[in-house]
Amino acid sequence: MRFLQRFNEQLHGQGSGDDGPGSSDLLQQARSQGDSLLAAGDQAIQRALAGSNSEAFLRAGRQQGGQ
Amino acid sequence: MGKTSTTSASPISLPKLCGADIELGNFIAGMEQAGGTGRDASRALLAEIEGLPKHQSSYLDDWWSKASIAPQTGAASYAGSCATTSDWTYNPQDVSRRFLAGNASSAYIDLDHVELCLPEVLSAFDHVAAWHAMLRIMRGALDSANAGRPADRQIHVLVNNSDGQGNSYGSHINFMIGRRAFDNIFWRKAHYLQFLASFQVSSILLTGQGKAGAENGRPSAPYQISQRADFFETLQGLQTTYNRPIVNARDEALCGLHGGGDPLAPARLHVIFFDSALAQGSCLFRVGPMQLILALLEQGLVNSRLILDDPLIALRNFSADPTLKATAELIAGERFTALELQSAYLEEVKRHAARGVFEGVVPRAEEIIALWEDTLGKLAASDLMAAAPRLDWVMKLLAIERTMDERPELDWDSAEVKVIDHLYSSLGGDGLYWAYQASGFAEQIVPPERIAHFTANPPADTRAWTRAMLLRRASSDNVDVESVDWDRITFKIRGRYAWPSYRTLDLANPLGFTQAEAQSIFDECADFGELLDALESHSAGDALPLDSIAVNPGKRRRSYALSSAVQ
Repeated sequence: MRFLQRFNEQLHGQGSGDDGPGSSDLLQQARSQGDSLLAAGDQAIQRALAGSNSEAFLRAGRQQGGQ
Repeated sequence: MGKTSTTSASPISLPKLCGADIELGNFIAGMEQAGGTGRDASRALLAEIEGLPKHQSSYLDDWWSKASIAPQTGAASYAGSCATTSDWTYNPQDVSRRFLAGNASSAYIDLDHVELCLPEVLSAFDHVAAWHAMLRIMRGALDSANAGRPADRQIHVLVNNSDGQGNSYGSHINFMIGRRAFDNIFWRKAHYLQFLASFQVSSILLTGQGKAGAENGRPSAPYQISQRADFFETLQGLQTTYNRPIVNARDEALCGLHGGGDPLAPARLHVIFFDSALAQGSCLFRVGPMQLILALLEQGLVNSRLILDDPLIALRNFSADPTLKATAELIAGERFTALELQSAYLEEVKRHAARGVFEGVVPRAEEIIALWEDTLGKLAASDLMAAAPRLDWVMKLLAIERTMDERPELDWDSAEVKVIDHLYSSLGGDGLYWAYQASGFAEQIVPPERIAHFTANPPADTRAWTRAMLLRRASSDNVDVESVDWDRITFKIRGRYAWPSYRTLDLANPLGFTQAEAQSIFDECADFGELLDALESHSAGDALPLDSIAVNPGKRRRSYALSSAVQ
């Protein structure tokens, strides 16, 4: 199970209590809006993962230990 | 919860001025070589950042470095302390340092990482703006360095703290505190140290950048809140490159001498604990709440019940549990989650804020407290989507899990997941954080104009202002800058027969030499020598600088406290 899914279940569990009518709609609306803004990163992720060797990239990223 | 001890409390607090010295990950893609490519990458990047003094000991640096005789680690690691001189010593932790005349910041190479140092600011919000301004400058250097490089050999810069292969590099925040408070933390009052460590440990849920996996021999974890948690191995100590302490004891004021035993003399708390931050909320939370907690410590307002029994184990457990359910034992026997402990610290701060404790000490304290409370509320409500725009670890977690949802073949051990982890912190155009900022998902806590301002201007309310103006004036007056450090600048002034003389201006008081104090001096002095004379005279009148900057927070206005008032 994803971490986000666990949080969502907790959130919905809490939301079924004393929240007023329409609060879950507002929540859903906020989530949809957030999703669409997060989509801006999806393209960058696809570009980074497509056609590149992830393991080689990580090896090249080796750093000297610093402070 | 519990009683706050006020015994032996000093009523005096210093404004919580802060600076930062932050290392970056840097490497060349497409190249694999023993020891990595950080050395070449860092030098190519730094070459694109102009600063003073002009002369740099790059030849010696290279010679010594290739000879591989320089020590790589040691307890006496004082990056941040070395003036920019061309002497014959080589310090791999302070190579080719330069100060920027634009904003009074500094850049250099520390153990093959470009290190960016922020000018001194008073406000946590200005820290956020100054950091993002510095990243913008660094982005320009990255683009310039890459312009002439082949597409498959581009330099990458990561604003993070770990390469995922067991190597960590720091993001240090420095705070001005009184000498008495410093000594209390490290030498006199163990519960002060534990109070501070426990606060820092629980703060990762606000300041962590998040990372996939575990390192440094720690038990495996799919995702951690903190990049640095794996690398802390002791409670306190001087060292920064090995056996890292939660609370670093480096005692280096960068304020002239140490004050001759004056309990009001300024000290500098060198905080190596925090992750690098991109999200402006995380960035603010590394500074604002620390300013408030340090102000409490300085005034002896320490609630000794808010102390973790074992901060190191608590850090490990808190970091490895992004569901925020992990608990840790307090010395009083209760078990708290990080969220509960942060909430308890927040309540302490709110209680004292109501008494005016932070007035004149922490600028915009009410706004910091409000943001802190609002963010803890979002996390307590399990509303990650609401917390994400403000917090790096949540934003990164959403990015990774969205991709895992799209590509079910990926799991937490996949190399692709680690690439996304790094991609989040990439400073270049491929960086995920910047995509989220452009889309409007990442929350803007400071106005873009303020960030733009700090790319070319120093803070006006600290000595950084005079540092920048002197460096600019030296350039325009054709005066050589011999060396620069945070609390002094040495100029090489040509005499009548071309025989040089050297003059050093002390900038010991971090809160002196502000624009309000020094603008008229710069305006009135046409000659560079006269300018130094006038600034020295101004400095001489500030012989007991701390008397003029210490604040008695119980009062409604700044008071001129005498040292003798403090025991």
